[in-house]
Amino acid sequence: MMQHQEQKLKEVLARIFNVQPEMITDDASPDTIENWDSLRHMNLVLALEEEFGVEFTDDQVVEILSYKLIKIVFKEHGVEFVQ
Amino acid sequence: MTLVRGGISGNETGLSDMLALINSSDDSQGIPVAFNFLRNFTTEGIEPYLHYHCLLSALKPKITFGNYDMVHQEVLDRSSHLYSSSPDIIVAALYLDTYLPDGWRASWSADDVMNSLAGLFADIAGNTDAIIVVNTFVPPFYADFGISSVKDFSSHHNEVLRLNQLIRAYVFSTPARFVLADWERFVRLLGENESMDYRFWYMSRSPFKKAFLELYALELVKVARALKGKSKKCLILDCDNTLWGGVIGEDGLNGIKLDPHSYPGNVFYEFQKSIIRLHERGVLITICSKNNEQDVWDVLDGHQSCILKREHLSAWRVNWSDKVSNIRDLATELNLGIDSFVFVDDNPVECGLIRDMLPEVTVLQVPEKLYTYPPLLNRDGLFDTLTFSSEDRQRSQLYRDEAHRKHEQAKYETMDQYLASLALRVTVHPATDNEISRVAQLTQKTNQFNLTTRRYTEAKISSFCNDPDWAVISLSVQDKFGDSGLTGVMIAHKEGDTGVIDSLLLSCRILGRSIEKVFVLEALSIMSRLWPVKTWQAEFAATPKNQQVAEFWPSIGFRQSSLLDGHTFYTLPFAVPELEPISYIAIEEQQ
Repeated sequence: MMQHQEQKLKEVLARIFNVQPEMITDDASPDTIENWDSLRHMNLVLALEEEFGVEFTDDQVVEILSYKLIKIVFKEHGVEFVQ
Repeated sequence: MTLVRGGISGNETGLSDMLALINSSDDSQGIPVAFNFLRNFTTEGIEPYLHYHCLLSALKPKITFGNYDMVHQEVLDRSSHLYSSSPDIIVAALYLDTYLPDGWRASWSADDVMNSLAGLFADIAGNTDAIIVVNTFVPPFYADFGISSVKDFSSHHNEVLRLNQLIRAYVFSTPARFVLADWERFVRLLGENESMDYRFWYMSRSPFKKAFLELYALELVKVARALKGKSKKCLILDCDNTLWGGVIGEDGLNGIKLDPHSYPGNVFYEFQKSIIRLHERGVLITICSKNNEQDVWDVLDGHQSCILKREHLSAWRVNWSDKVSNIRDLATELNLGIDSFVFVDDNPVECGLIRDMLPEVTVLQVPEKLYTYPPLLNRDGLFDTLTFSSEDRQRSQLYRDEAHRKHEQAKYETMDQYLASLALRVTVHPATDNEISRVAQLTQKTNQFNLTTRRYTEAKISSFCNDPDWAVISLSVQDKFGDSGLTGVMIAHKEGDTGVIDSLLLSCRILGRSIEKVFVLEALSIMSRLWPVKTWQAEFAATPKNQQVAEFWPSIGFRQSSLLDGHTFYTLPFAVPELEPISYIAIEEQQ
């Protein structure tokens, strides 16, 4: 189940930024993914909320600027991943 | 094709899944269409929805955005995106808060803003040959001055509404170039909660949520489809459980469900209206049904509530062959491409077969929730053409009707003259078999103009009809504006040489025109011919809701005879009341 969540998260990011899922490493961020601009970040927020049934706070919207940070914020919402 | 259900919900496909389809789409497929947005807010959020719905319509979109809030500059600068992207469709996406930053403070006039908008629109139109989509504005959701705002006709709110009307009129007057994306309608459909994204408005100047953006995108796709010649041109209809409820071959002419007044016949009646409207827009209507041909003609030619007639049809295939061959045949006969057809059927097997064998045909299945059926043909804009979108057409029709009524009312000096102009026509006769269920329904629903408020089942009404000592008389009303249908009932029986009026009721919507008097007069004369009665007995049973008819019997010449437990009894010592004929109502007795 948790494995599945991780996979799903990578898939959402890959789709939003139109890259191969292998590109979504723990370090994935606007620095490593060219398409991760402010406009696509908005779509990322919306897609994550839609797919995982959470609602980010205004601070979190700005914070989740790397794959690692997304997982940390998700944990605060009770979405668990494999460590 | 799965499109959003008329904006009722835009949440059928997730953004992530849409992007998966977009990322994997084949670049060599689809008809190219280029959109350029001239905008004064962050509009990029629409891109995935617009792209996705273009793909579903076999269009390959190129979507570009002009610089943020540089609308005029983009138009003036010949090297801007507006020109370099060679758009087919220019979307002038204007948000009022940005267009009129001081609008909240200073009073402004809709006419001035419209003048400035019209200047901009004319500049765009003069410099390009694209179709230009303009929008109305989102009216404020809350009143400027709270509860006292209604008195303040110059308020921001009212001015936005007035401006929207001016924008609609502008678009309406320039149908060849401009198309409307009616944002005000979008928020009316979706509500504030589904439309407005305040989080991203304040954080990124991106004011709309997915449902709104998807609705907006769908309107743009309709424009693209129409522009690229992908409008559907021909409707292919199944018959049983598609044009009417039930199976004509088994249920017979009186057994099928099709009438304006009772469920589920009224759903099919409503659906037929949408077919007639498409016919009036120039869409070809055809039938493809597994049936005996004569059975189908019996309904189209002979069923009183079947408004779809043989003369509406351009072609038909009513036989027992497979529908794939029949549709190919129809395409040849009408000289149309298979891709210009929309096929409607209730049978999932037939629908699946057509989807598999003729994927170019748009297949619409009659929904299981039958009450969602009537807007099926209208909601996705499949038949929309640029010169007259379905919306504009309906709007213009409504305007015409309303103007017509107003004009009529203003023309006459007295009420009687106005009533005379309505060309009222009433039909009074013993209830026929296919009227029984509507009669029963009226006895169950009518509260105000109801003298005794006796509720009857269909079975009971049926037994009255078959009893020679009882009579059920129905009233139907028409005027030149339309058909009100079966809206009045009298039930009576005879005891020796006295006729006893058991029930008299009329639907509220036909009151105020003295129809009730004509009805009683006519009903009593019909029954006097059935039964040689010398006197009539009538009754008023008071309820909390029927006070308006407490004096009805005396008003037409009945005399009070007794009073018992809240029931007042009246008698009329003649077979037919002596009433002045009402000159402006024509009476028909035909069955």
